[in-house]
Parts: sequence; C-alpha cells; structure tokens
Amino acid sequence: MRSLTALRMVIHDRSSTAGALLGVIAIVFLVGQQLSILFGLLNYMSVLVDHSRADAWIVSPNIRNADAGNLISVRYLDRVVGLDGVKWAEPVLIGNGLFRTTDGSFESVRVVGIRRPSIAAGPWRYFQSDEKALLDLESVTVDRLDLSKLGAPLLEQVTEIGDRRVRLAAVTEGVRGFQGTIVFGSLDKVREIARTPPGRYSAILVGYNPGVDKAALTAQLKQILPKCSVFTTSELSRLTRNYYFTNTGIGSSFGFSTLIAVLIGVVIISLTMYTSVLGRALDFAVMRAIGGRKWDIAVVVISEALLITAVGLFVGFLMLATLLNVTGNSSIPSYFPAYVAPVLAAGTVLVSLLGSVVALRVALRADPASVFH
Amino acid sequence: MKLVLEKIARDFSDGRQMRRVLFPTSLEFVPGELAVLSGPSGSGKTTLLSIMGLVLRPSEGHLFLDEREISGLPDLEAADMRLQKYGFVFQQPMLIEGLSVRENIWLALAVQGGRVPPEAREKTEDLLTQLGLEGTSHMQPRLLSGGMKQRVSIARALIKSPDVLLCDEPTSALDAESGQGVMGILKRIAVAEGCIVVVVSHDARVFPYADRLIKLENGRVVSDTRESYSPQKEDAQ
Repeated sequence: MRSLTALRMVIHDRSSTAGALLGVIAIVFLVGQQLSILFGLLNYMSVLVDHSRADAWIVSPNIRNADAGNLISVRYLDRVVGLDGVKWAEPVLIGNGLFRTTDGSFESVRVVGIRRPSIAAGPWRYFQSDEKALLDLESVTVDRLDLSKLGAPLLEQVTEIGDRRVRLAAVTEGVRGFQGTIVFGSLDKVREIARTPPGRYSAILVGYNPGVDKAALTAQLKQILPKCSVFTTSELSRLTRNYYFTNTGIGSSFGFSTLIAVLIGVVIISLTMYTSVLGRALDFAVMRAIGGRKWDIAVVVISEALLITAVGLFVGFLMLATLLNVTGNSSIPSYFPAYVAPVLAAGTVLVSLLGSVVALRVALRADPASVFH
Repeated sequence: MKLVLEKIARDFSDGRQMRRVLFPTSLEFVPGELAVLSGPSGSGKTTLLSIMGLVLRPSEGHLFLDEREISGLPDLEAADMRLQKYGFVFQQPMLIEGLSVRENIWLALAVQGGRVPPEAREKTEDLLTQLGLEGTSHMQPRLLSGGMKQRVSIARALIKSPDVLLCDEPTSALDAESGQGVMGILKRIAVAEGCIVVVVSHDARVFPYADRLIKLENGRVVSDTRESYSPQKEDAQ
C-alpha cells in the first residue's frame, strides 16, 4: 500500500514529478554523453596498441606513452624470434608526415609502417578494399571519416606524404587516433616519409603461442632486453591512456563537466521533491496519525524517488542510445562500453536518493498532532 | 474495554515560559457511548483529544486503555496502537489526493505496508453503502462534496473496527444537513459497534447526539453530564 501510495502521489503531482524526472534525465543523458565522448577519446588514445593483436610491445626505455618512444634497433627482433613460446615478432615504424590534399594544401598525418605481408599492427577494419591492397610498396590507407579533411581523395588516387609518392589503396573504418589521421603503409614507405635511419623501428610487436605462460614469457623478454621496455599490450594501453588523461587536462575537464551535470540534476531533483513533499506535509501527518511510523513515511518518499528515477533512467538511456546511434558513424568520438550503463544507472539512483534527502527530512518532520486543527 | 484518563495535564512552552493548557483531568470513557467534549476556543479540548489519541504526550498523569498504560508508549508502539485500536475523524476530511476513495480507506489498514485483506475490500463497499456513498469507491476525492468527503473519512476510521473513535470537530466544515448526517452515523456506530466515541465540538447542533457532554474551560473540566442533553436545560443553566 505504501508503494501504491507513492505511485499515486507521483502520478497526481504531475508538475513536481515532471521536474524531478527532468533532473534524472539530465543526469543520465548529460553524464552519459560526456562519458561516451571520454571513452571515445580514451579509445583514440591507445587505438594502435589496443588493435595491434600483439601480446607484448618492445619499445625504447623510459617511454611515457605509446606515441612518444625513441627508435630501437632491429637486432632485438632476432633475439625475440628465437625464444620458446614466441609465435611471431613484427617491427612497426611510426612517424609523422604532411599529406598533400587534392586542393594542394597539406594535412598532418600519423604514418604507421608495417612489414608485408604480415599485418600485425595494421588496419583492423576496412570500408573500401582490404588488407591485400597494402601489398604494394606505395599503397597507403586513410580512414573514411578523414576523407573530407584530406580533400576527398578517390581510391587509387596518387598523392604525396612528406614529398613521397603514395597511392590511396584502401579506406579504413573507425581507424582514427588521438593525434589525428592515421595512415598505414609499408615499412619502407614510412621510413622514407619519416626519414628514419635504416635498421631502427618504433616498436617490435610480439605474439605468443597459445597456452604459453604469458607473464613468464614477458618477464623473460624483459630479462633478455635490459635496454628496452617490454610491456604487455594492456599495460602499454593503460600507460598511454593514463598519460593523456592526466597530462592533457582531459580528465579534469570531463570530471568537472560531469560534476556540473550531476549537480544540476541533484539540485533539480532536490528542489522539486522538496516542493512536492512540502505540499504533502499534511498527508504525511495524516498517515502518521492513523498509525504510520516514520519508516513508513520514508518508504513512501523513497519509493517516489525510485519510481521517478526508474522512468527517468528509461527515458534518459533511450535518448542516450539515440544520440550514440546518430553519432556512432560520425567524426565525434563516442563509445559507451556496456559495463558503464549499470554503473551510470546505479550512480543515478544514488544521486536521486541524495536529492530526495532534503524532502525526506521534511516528510519525517510531519507531526501527527498537527492534524488536529 | 475502557479508556481511562488519570490526572492528565499538559504544559506548553512559548519559548520563554511554560504555560499549562490542560490541568489535571480524570475521565473514563466506556464503549457504546458517544461523548462530546465541548468548550470555547483554547479550553484544552483538542489537547485532551490529542493526548487520548496518542499523538501528544501528557506532561503529567496516566492514560489507560483496557487497563494497559499507554501514555508513555515509545513512538513505534504508539503508532502500532493507533493503527490497531484507534480511528480518527478530523475537522477537515484530509483524504489523500491521488488515492481513490477506496485506497484512502485501505490506507488506514495498510499504512505500515502489506496487502489489504480480501474481507476488508468487501467491508469497504459495505461501509460506503451504509454511509450513502455507493458507487464512489473508484472516484478521486476531489470529485466529492465536503459532506461526502467527511463520510469517506469516517469510513477510513471505521474500516479497522476501532475500539476508540476520536473525532475532532467533524461537522464544523459541513452545512447543517451534512453535519447532522455525520453525527447520526457516529451515534449509530457508538451503539452498534460498541465503540468508544469521543467528539470534540463547540457546535451546539452536535449536543443532541451526545450520551455524555463534557465541558472544558481554561483547561479544566467544568461539567460532565451523562443525562440526555436538552437545549432547554442548557438555556436554564
């Protein structure tokens, strides 16, 4: 009966219900949208590492992120390949170059050189053409979402990166980095573009045999390569994300905007529920007089808050899903991991309950004696 | 079942000093009797009713229901006692907007949670019929007249067959006809249900329904008459 009473009050007090609902929706939608952009950017930060299909990365010592390493010697490759448990090892060369667009202007791009025919650390999703397109020495890829920025070059169109002739052989899908457009090409072509010395690479990627003790093999790699840093893929991904998150101001910026969104929601919920309960003060006094305990009043108020939150969560997530659907294929970085939804929902419930605390205190002060006159 | 007040007194503080609004009062109420507490404004009748209804603690004295002292009950036990033994009719009907007529009535049974028993659902319809409210059970209170709302509040008080029914100025917000209707119902209940009915009122139209008329002035009982009330007798006094 207490829950039914709460439901009836929620339905009857339309204006305050709408206000509190707005607060909940604001929290879910605004915080969800902020988080989706944050996770989208986080994905961009470590995109090459996360999609490398490698178990370990060998890089120069003392690096702070995957994008800022010194070059390492090719001789490490030979030491690694012969180890038990190592299935493959591939060098990767990462550099920068200026892409000549169709109108003759230039755009800075990140060039990633990979050894043919293996495509470890290569593109992982194609929009046009496929991995075979990269077999040619001059072939490069660009991402679909970067095409317009690069002057909408056509497939098979020849252009220049870093004054070196390249041919657009494939268009990737969702292969974009935090530092801008990613262009994949052959090792030799990228070496020409980035003007790096021969025999030196940005990283050596290592793939392990199935069933091998990964921790032990990683430890062995560290032991035999004391002048390099050896990271598991997840370690390097985390290192890179942490670096950008804490050093670029993204973390504090998103934290602040999320806090503002939560505060706005809490204030809206608090004010509307407070007003609603104030208007119901006599009803709560009546409930107390006819035998209701303070706990029963609390159940009604909390049930009201939870009912509003449940509806708000549904509407908020519906709006968020629509937004993510719309922006999913756009250049706006947005990614909403499945595990975030229940966390956001639980957080919203918590915030709603927090918002109803003031109202609850007012309701609990309802004096049963006040119903007499 | 008797409701016994033993030297009940109540003081209020105005922030600077204590003021006694009810002087030690001893009364005994028995089932099947409709007692009216009357007196001018500020005479202490509502304070007395609030103490009897366990929503206000006395400063002094003891209150017994069925020989059990109930004046010092902790909040939770007092709430349980009000739920199980008491029915209330207030000056205003105080029905909860948003709940239908029958849900308002059921609230008196299940305000501490739980489901409404099926027999109570049947009793609700019977009560509404007895009170001339047939066909209104699903309606919202705002669609009812003042008299109808007050009768719903009587149904809310009666649904749990209380031992004690306390009514605070139940007719003051009603027109003469509705007021007489409500008092007639309360009188019938006192006799038929064997219930202690105490009505606070300063409305002289209520007095003819009283089995007992208790008058208060300045926080003291000045008369307690068990004879049938007659307006002529009142005039002669």
